[in-house]
Amino acid sequence: MSHAADTQWPRWEVLKQDAEGKPHQAVGSVHAADAEHALLMARTVFARRPSAVSMWVAPAASVRSFTAQELAEREAPTERAPAAGAPERYLVVRKASHRRSMAFGELVGEVEGANVDEALAAALARLAGEPVLALWLVEARAVVRSDPAEADPWFGPARDKTYKQQSVYSSRATARQDAAKGVPR
Amino acid sequence: MSEPTTLGSELTRALLERLTALGDDELVLGHRDSEWTGHAPILEEDIAIANVAQDEIGHAVLWYGLVEQLGGPDPDRLAFFRDADEYRNAALVDRPRGDWAFTMARQFLFDAYEAELLPRLERSSYAPVADAAAKVRREELFHLRHSALWLERLAHGTDESRRRLTAALDELLPLLPGLLAPLPGDAALAAAGVYPEAAELADAVLARVGAALEAAGLARPTLEPPADAAGADRRQRPDGVLAALLAEMQSVARSDPQAEGW
Repeated sequence: MSHAADTQWPRWEVLKQDAEGKPHQAVGSVHAADAEHALLMARTVFARRPSAVSMWVAPAASVRSFTAQELAEREAPTERAPAAGAPERYLVVRKASHRRSMAFGELVGEVEGANVDEALAAALARLAGEPVLALWLVEARAVVRSDPAEADPWFGPARDKTYKQQSVYSSRATARQDAAKGVPR
Repeated sequence: MSEPTTLGSELTRALLERLTALGDDELVLGHRDSEWTGHAPILEEDIAIANVAQDEIGHAVLWYGLVEQLGGPDPDRLAFFRDADEYRNAALVDRPRGDWAFTMARQFLFDAYEAELLPRLERSSYAPVADAAAKVRREELFHLRHSALWLERLAHGTDESRRRLTAALDELLPLLPGLLAPLPGDAALAAAGVYPEAAELADAVLARVGAALEAAGLARPTLEPPADAAGADRRQRPDGVLAALLAEMQSVARSDPQAEGW
């Protein structure tokens, strides 16, 4: 397996919110030179349709991911003194089912921990009993967010663009068939 | 919203000329941007520039639509069945796409121009122009954000990126007056509040461009307001560059002029 980077630019994970009150969802990634560029690229690639109201990006290096198997095989944390240092905040993103979806997982909340182990324990305690196929912990301070005050220029234009399946653009042959059948264009 | 002005024949003629120039700038720039499809430096930017191209062409359709409303030809006729000597775009937008620095520098200059033009057009006494400007402006905010981001990063990137950006600006800045110069009918349109006053608009654009270049650590250029003669830029086609662009852009439509759709 090659470990060569696939681009000169770092990768950023993109979290998109489709509507107020819905959770942000992990929709994919972009490559970009820096955070501001990553947010613009995320808007370009993911805000077009369906609609969006908010978008966050996080450097891939700030995301720890765990599969269900890794979580099951994880050793139960041993009793020990709480780690020193200020607690770090993490976003918790969960993939809950294999259902076909445009999103990898969705935001279920935020946890704190002095390290990743503590944060993971807190996240699993919060999700007790709920299905988890994969889990992400994203360092909250690494997340860069779109400005709510700019939501309209940022996301508004995409809503006004009609989405057409490629079959709408008929070939000359299908246009003639339609014309023969009297199908209005 | 302003009350629609009833245009007399002189103003209608002047507005037809101006709307055609606005549409031609957008269409030609959009076509140049579209030439990057499949060739941009990275997939994300390929999508971004294709998006910008599509937006600009959409804006051309808006301006051409107003031409049609005023009794002119329909948008397809304007786009695909006029020759280079009938186009009224500024030379700035038809220069070959060059490298990424050239394309982003040109896009920045055009976006900076529109950032000043469109808010003024939204106050036009001719309501259809004001309405179209509001639609265009919403998309242009993002274009400017994107091209300004690139201007800054190319300026501060590497020696090579700075060299390429500087070379692009050396070629593009002398063409800016041609974009800003008034058409012969613009003074009458300005007097009627239909279109902004050319000198005031040019000053605002040049100030914005100068400030942005300075902020990016580039030498603040001496930007002269356009001489009246610079408007002729939109009529001079000395080098066949626009004709070659149109030959490609119009070839499908002209291969079957009676076609009604696809």
